[in-house]
Amino acid sequence: MKALRWGLIKQQMLVTLRVRALHVLSLGLFVIQPAVFTAVGMLLSHAAGNAMPDLVYTVIGGGIMGLWSGLVFSSTYDITGDRYYGTLELIVGSPTSLTTIEAIRTLINVLTGLFSLGLAFVAALAIFGYSLQGVNFWGAGISLLLLLFSMWCIGVFLANFLAWSRLSGSFVDFLEMPIAFLCGFMYPIRVLPGWLQTLSGVIPIRWALQAMNESLLGNRDLPFLLTHWAMAVGISLVFLAITGWLQARVHDSIRLSGELSSI
Amino acid sequence: MHPVAIEARSLNKTFITKTGLWKTRTRSTLAVEDISLTIERGELFGLLGPNGAGKTTTVKMLTTLLLPTHGTARILGLDVVQQTAQVRKHIGFAFSGSRGFYNRITATQNLNYFAQLYALDSAITRQRVPQLLELVGLGTRGDDKVETYSSGMVQRLHLARALLHDPEVLFLDEPTVGIDPVGSRELRQTIKNLSSLGKTILLTTHYMAEAEELCHRIAIINKGRIVALDSPEALKRHISGDSVIEACIQPGQVQGILDLLRVLDGRTLVEVKNITEPETVSIRTPEPARVLELLSPYLNPQYIQGLEVRNQTLEDVYVTIIKAGGQ
Repeated sequence: MKALRWGLIKQQMLVTLRVRALHVLSLGLFVIQPAVFTAVGMLLSHAAGNAMPDLVYTVIGGGIMGLWSGLVFSSTYDITGDRYYGTLELIVGSPTSLTTIEAIRTLINVLTGLFSLGLAFVAALAIFGYSLQGVNFWGAGISLLLLLFSMWCIGVFLANFLAWSRLSGSFVDFLEMPIAFLCGFMYPIRVLPGWLQTLSGVIPIRWALQAMNESLLGNRDLPFLLTHWAMAVGISLVFLAITGWLQARVHDSIRLSGELSSI
Repeated sequence: MHPVAIEARSLNKTFITKTGLWKTRTRSTLAVEDISLTIERGELFGLLGPNGAGKTTTVKMLTTLLLPTHGTARILGLDVVQQTAQVRKHIGFAFSGSRGFYNRITATQNLNYFAQLYALDSAITRQRVPQLLELVGLGTRGDDKVETYSSGMVQRLHLARALLHDPEVLFLDEPTVGIDPVGSRELRQTIKNLSSLGKTILLTTHYMAEAEELCHRIAIINKGRIVALDSPEALKRHISGDSVIEACIQPGQVQGILDLLRVLDGRTLVEVKNITEPETVSIRTPEPARVLELLSPYLNPQYIQGLEVRNQTLEDVYVTIIKAGGQ
């Protein structure tokens, strides 16, 4: 059984990489998008009167934007593509649940999105002179893992909506920027008004990202980091639980409405 | 072992669509109405009907892809709504059309992927995929991307995919659409072979000859309802022992011939087929001798160029039933 599940993960990875992720345009997205966000971040920092932009929130923040946008774009494309190509019916009609497939795909999308983040780090170090001196490496490493985990949980949660209706892709795309702004991808979360900070608290990405950014800036305050990690894990698990509850309803809803195919 | 492969009881499907933002209007479309049928294990069953009759909707409900609005359906005794996951392990389905695969990867890579969705062991997959590609006549094209395939080749690949997990019950929705005559013949032979292996097959088709050649029993479906259900021979007998006379008539003489046939009673149906020069008039009648007697004075090239008397085909039966709007 274990081997069979690994077989499924392997085959899904191969299909996703061959069909979409290893396409030159997809790879371009992971390079161009963070570069654009980084440039905008630096311009805004300069306009705000900063002599030197904060590289964590501009360059690495651009990489986070690339990771997140790549996840939203890829997830939307996967389901829309499946509807268009008629493969969604075949997946849903198989004994493997759609949520299992979405979970594997989202994992692939998160991991391929790491390409953006990796490039941003390299750019920060090699081009902009970002110094690793003082960085809390273990804090940043754990936070990065939790950031990927929370993005995966949100991705699987959103995939349910994408499967639900032919038109839900635009709804999920609409969420891309508000979530990025609420989570403080390119600025410290403290600059947001209090009520927006409270609102952003329901998104697990925000907690993991804040812990990562603080660690990159040298924060070694263990209670602060533990609180943020616990919030990231706890809220992610809540999203996973809601996903589990939603999946059966979405499965029934699409079979009732006949929205499995694009026509 | 459950003796009945497919069982539907009063199956209904209504699609609800809503329009408007503030004042929403709900529109319901009845796609399938009160369909009941029982298909025995090992049977090759045909579902015939015009476009939009509800064939594909029925198949999609039986394959768990659509939820019925009312009614129940069981596959090998398993409820399609309550025991969805178990049903899916036992069925294979292939829909018509050139969609349904990832075009940027090869046929083999597609089949390897779908094999994993059915939790097939890797060793079995490695063995079965080339065998199935060979079976459907794509043995030499397995390493080509699907985007290079013709629609007929994709159609055959659908059958290979449906057979990956060696299902007991197969649903084939218009399997020979888009396939050339030689390919169609080969595919029909494949379907016969599968049937002889004991697989239960539900086939939908527009091709009457195909249904007549393959199916043990046939249901004709029109406007969402089953309007006839029997073996092809019984269906032909059922629409009486009528004969069909097809006359090739010179253009301009058709109306005169039609007027001539007006003396016959209502049991004779006359249809002018849309074939240009000479026009063909099809006469289905229980009294062929009488018709021939009426036409005999006109059996010369100025009026009637040719005449053929034959027994009814399944197509005649189908056309009669559908035109009558039911049974």
